[in-house]
Amino acid sequence: MLSSLYVVGQGPLHRLSAGSKLAVLAIVGVGLFFIQSPWILAFAFALAVIVYLTVGLSLREALKRIRLTLYSLLFLMVLNLFFLPIAEVQVLALRFLALVFAAAAVTATTTLDAMMDVVNRLMRPLGRLGLIRQGDAGLTVGLCLRFVPEILARYHALVEAHKARGLKVRPLTLLGPLVILTLKQADDVAAAIDARGLRAARTTPRSSQSNERQIRS
Amino acid sequence: MTTRDLALSALFAAIIIVLGLVPPIPLGFIPVPITLQSMGVMLAGCIIGAKRGALAYAIFVLLVAAGLPVLSGGRGGLAILMGPTGGYILGWIVAAFVTGFIAERLVREGQNEWRQLGGFFAASVIGGIVVLYAIGMPWVTASAGTPFYAVASGSLVFVPGDLLKAAITALAARAVLAGYPLLHRA
Repeated sequence: MLSSLYVVGQGPLHRLSAGSKLAVLAIVGVGLFFIQSPWILAFAFALAVIVYLTVGLSLREALKRIRLTLYSLLFLMVLNLFFLPIAEVQVLALRFLALVFAAAAVTATTTLDAMMDVVNRLMRPLGRLGLIRQGDAGLTVGLCLRFVPEILARYHALVEAHKARGLKVRPLTLLGPLVILTLKQADDVAAAIDARGLRAARTTPRSSQSNERQIRS
Repeated sequence: MTTRDLALSALFAAIIIVLGLVPPIPLGFIPVPITLQSMGVMLAGCIIGAKRGALAYAIFVLLVAAGLPVLSGGRGGLAILMGPTGGYILGWIVAAFVTGFIAERLVREGQNEWRQLGGFFAASVIGGIVVLYAIGMPWVTASAGTPFYAVASGSLVFVPGDLLKAAITALAARAVLAGYPLLHRA
């Protein structure tokens, strides 16, 4: 139902670590905004297209994934033609196209697990400050994805209940029960997590130091 | 962050995903069906409050970035965040927080029904419309180069629909507050 946009493959981009791909994408994303030359941007765009189209997707599937972003881009660029010189619109369009294709390539070659590893690593400073506990990011994302099928089933049950009573499905009669039933379940889930001690113990800067000392001695 | 905060946020993020998977629902009095997911920011703030609403959207945006097709219409991936309207998606986190922050202060349990509805409506309009557009529109201008007045006047088309969504959110949030109050509970 919620299959990730990752495509199985063994290409060079697949073998790069998620962290370096995201870092490169961030650097390219910022860097391209300082480049004004249409030639360099056209080169970047061509490169991004080649990379994206060689990750192992069919042309149709590849374009389908970014179609809506491309439409909104097209709309804005047509609008831009009324306000800006053509040369500038060309630069803006090429820059965005390069970014969109590069970003789609990273998404298609990086698994959810690899992305979560990067997120957990980025969260580590927050954990050290005592704001969150280690593993909280993975726990919440895991909980969220785990309950999507169940909430979807609940949604369909509510639609059936409407039909059985001859009622039309309306946002208001649906949202109330859907939200209340789900959030009641969230309370049970939280109680179950605490009862089983599934959440990592709180780590404060002091306690992690004392742990280190214990290990050393 | 208590475990309860995490669970409520995670399951609310799951509700937002489900609202994007199901077909748009007709309102009955206007011919266009609405995509329930587009009300998610207002719902999150008004129902689970500022901190947890923002966390629910942080999880949701994280899943978009990680490449899961969780946006309505099966969209997802970094390309959307990198596109010209990426500001709206990142803005959801702030918008949910502001909606919740205002709702927590304007709405009390035990107030009369109309004051609660008014409070939820005001919170949804300020957080889910004013704040969201205040982040999304300059982002479009800064990234796509389209002049701000063109972006702003183009966005006006969406305001009537957004006001309608704020009204539905107010009614739904009040129903939840009456049935299972969470807004002010730690």
